[in-house]
Amino acid sequence: MPMMTGAQYKESLKDGRLTYIDGDQVSDPANHPLLKTAVDVAARVYDSFYSADAGASNPAYIIPRSIDEYRDRAHRLSQGVTDMTLGTTGVTLLALTSAAAKLGEVNPAYSDRIYAYVEYCKKHDLRCAEVITDSKGHRKKRPNKQSDPDFYVHVVDRNADGVFITGAKMHISASSIEHELVIMPTKAMYPGEEDYAIACAVPVNARGVSIIDMTYAPRAEDTRHYPVSGKVNCPEGFVVFDNVFVPNERVFLDGETAHAATLAHSLGLWERAAGLGDAGESADREVGMAALLAEANGMAEDPRIRDQLASLVVYATMCRAAGEAAMVNATKTEDGNMLPSPLFVSALKYFKSEFRARLLDIQHDVAGDLLVNAPTVGDFEHPDLHAALGEAFEVPGFTAEDRLRLFHYVRDTTADAYGGWAFVTGQLAGGGQHAQRIVTMRQYNMEHAKKIARRAVGIGEFRKSGEENWKPL
Amino acid sequence: MVMLTGDQYRASIRDGRAIYLAGQRVDDATTNRLLAVSVDWIARTYDQYHSSVSGARNPMFTSPRSSADLANQMEFLATADFTAATTAGCMALRELLPELGAIRGEYKTRLATFLDRCAADDLRVAAAVEDGGIAIAGKVRVVETRADGVVLRGAKRHVLGASVVHELLLVPAGAVDAQHADQAIACAVQPNSPGVKIINITSAPEAEDDRHYPVSREFSVPDCYVLFENVFVPIERVFLNGETDFSGALVDTLGIWERARSAAEMAERAELVLGLAQTIAEMNGVDKIEHIRNKLSMIAVWASMCRAGWDRALANATTTPSGTVRPDESAVYATKAYGGERYNDMLSYLHDISGALVLTVPATADYDNQATHKYMEKYLRTMNGVTGEARMKIFHLIRDISADQYGGWKKVTEQMIGGGLIAQRMNALDHYPIANVKAKARQIAKLDERSTAPAARATSPQLPSHREPPIR
Repeated sequence: MPMMTGAQYKESLKDGRLTYIDGDQVSDPANHPLLKTAVDVAARVYDSFYSADAGASNPAYIIPRSIDEYRDRAHRLSQGVTDMTLGTTGVTLLALTSAAAKLGEVNPAYSDRIYAYVEYCKKHDLRCAEVITDSKGHRKKRPNKQSDPDFYVHVVDRNADGVFITGAKMHISASSIEHELVIMPTKAMYPGEEDYAIACAVPVNARGVSIIDMTYAPRAEDTRHYPVSGKVNCPEGFVVFDNVFVPNERVFLDGETAHAATLAHSLGLWERAAGLGDAGESADREVGMAALLAEANGMAEDPRIRDQLASLVVYATMCRAAGEAAMVNATKTEDGNMLPSPLFVSALKYFKSEFRARLLDIQHDVAGDLLVNAPTVGDFEHPDLHAALGEAFEVPGFTAEDRLRLFHYVRDTTADAYGGWAFVTGQLAGGGQHAQRIVTMRQYNMEHAKKIARRAVGIGEFRKSGEENWKPL
Repeated sequence: MVMLTGDQYRASIRDGRAIYLAGQRVDDATTNRLLAVSVDWIARTYDQYHSSVSGARNPMFTSPRSSADLANQMEFLATADFTAATTAGCMALRELLPELGAIRGEYKTRLATFLDRCAADDLRVAAAVEDGGIAIAGKVRVVETRADGVVLRGAKRHVLGASVVHELLLVPAGAVDAQHADQAIACAVQPNSPGVKIINITSAPEAEDDRHYPVSREFSVPDCYVLFENVFVPIERVFLNGETDFSGALVDTLGIWERARSAAEMAERAELVLGLAQTIAEMNGVDKIEHIRNKLSMIAVWASMCRAGWDRALANATTTPSGTVRPDESAVYATKAYGGERYNDMLSYLHDISGALVLTVPATADYDNQATHKYMEKYLRTMNGVTGEARMKIFHLIRDISADQYGGWKKVTEQMIGGGLIAQRMNALDHYPIANVKAKARQIAKLDERSTAPAARATSPQLPSHREPPIR
């Protein structure tokens, strides 16, 4: 089976799937005004990796077994275009394979099915959505104690060939423009909750699947002043499973409650680790953005601005350090698959989210109100306005167009619909701040920390017999 | 003296003004789908306060003369459309009439006449303060002075509502040095004057069915960049021309009600954030979870301090020489600086408590679609007593004000009122009654008491003459 071209990908979405947005049913995502851009980008991703060679496949399907393989995979991915669909595919398949060994201990068929499924996706060049967060109902109540048993996706029926599932999953990025929904339990399950311990894969066009989309894609006719979200965006799906049949070969966990969280933890790690490779680069870009804004506003030498930039520089340096530490301290699963250090991954994720609020304040303070009221590209091109805007906006070192581009970029990414989406998802993807603290605490070597504290104080095993407890340094 | 109705207001701004939106010339703001959001908001204020009684006028034209007046004024500004604060700010320039008169008698007469006419004709005024650029070409300046007026060139940015008001009041953004006396210009310009071109940015939602934008669909403001291309201003509309010594005085007074509204709104906004956070926590069933309560408590402290700051501004209101009662400036700046510095953190807590449905909950149109209605109601409800529709509405509100186009515009705009976070802090310091706290320090340090007795000094000369006071 050859790889797909962008055009073939677009055609592949016309498969009878039930997708809705803004109250309308979508028959062809590639030609819907709010989904078209996302589909176009995904198609460009296909074209950028396309090879007609027999056996060729996208590097996202590589399961790295060493740091070198991980870096090679990242390098090969960087040679093509990337987007949400490719990102979720890579993360989902890595999560499945990272958990395969543990699931295989319960039932070897689960592990075999996972590796067979990865091969299937690779062979057909399919894009997979991470389908994890349930609607959850009352958050404090267990799945089987809710006022509606469907608040968590669960098995409602079964036969010799497979299971039937019902429920809904929230915020499933790109689900309506991908091919496969990889469903995992959202959290740990306990005895009595066997029906909820279900992991499986369902094609998007399976009978009983409906997806209601929301998107931050700009709705303006001319989107050129949305330099990021106008070119790259992605719908978020509210995915409903209404008695959907799943054949056995697509079931990766079915009733083993002790392992329900295995996949969620695995996915969470890879989701948090998604930005690891460019943690330093992306933080540097934010610093650069603030520095350019300062220059473009003629304030680069203002000591108060330099003080703000110093805060950003410290932040960026620590992001780079934590990203590198996560790789240097990577471990391996029992299958030999490489895992970045969960401690550093979680700590970095927490640190980035915690500082994000301050980072935006600094960028906005440096930018000033032109950030949100600079005229659009369309205004700049209008013959009535072009000359006057050109004169008014130009400063030494920056043409009027340069400055407008800078303001548009920072507004789009920090103070508009996409900026809002990025602010919230940056914080919540892979678990909120509380989850990061829990994971970091769990991964941290507290015994080592206490031991060196005891040594410093001279107590416990470090207390020499006959010595006083108090010993000055 | 005539008060306008909403419809009369709409008719009054159909005057051929050159306005632009997204690269297109707009012939009529009142019928443009996005700009009409603002027009309708202003029209609602007109209708709400309309009276045909002779002598009646909108509260924005009357300066508060007592604490009770001030409380009423602030309540009015909080509920009226956005032009109320800018128009009231212009009216505050009456404070400066004596000083203007000292420079030139005509300035005083012209400004008083202009302000009287605005009040008499029930006109809305936008403040045009910040220059459009850093280079000379981007600054508004007089390029020609004639016997009957002046000719302006340059640009002003961030002129809220320029396209939907009756008058633009231009003042220098700050003190102008003697070499640039041509920029020391204060005057009134009508939006339809030849050479005025108004470029609009608005956070009014583009969606055809915009019901999932519950705030921005009603309360968006055109944030305007105004070009002045050889605009003639008749002499009777010129209130300052070249007197650089006085150039920095106008902007501060012009902005008092805008800053006051912003500080009051910070207190209101903080309470809304807390209310939304508590509501969604209860709807999600997590309001008793420790880490959620921890976040709620941090928002509660923030909301309390913002309210306390604004209450202090009112409690310490000052009276100007002309008798206008205005909120204490130090407290206004402090409320804005403190509230603003913590704002993003508080939104993070709100989002963390809410979860990602803030972003991903489908639109009201999907809720109304028969094919998806049953799924949305079924899966958005969480427990008996919490409907899917109610939860959807809360998510829409949180997204609109904190994680979408309007939320981004509002956050940056409010941050910039008073000059940005650093400037607000500095202004809070500069307006602080610093002599009082220095006196307190001196008193506790006993700086004004006699030093240690000479005899004691002789016996232990190495001791300092002052000891630290006990900590109180």
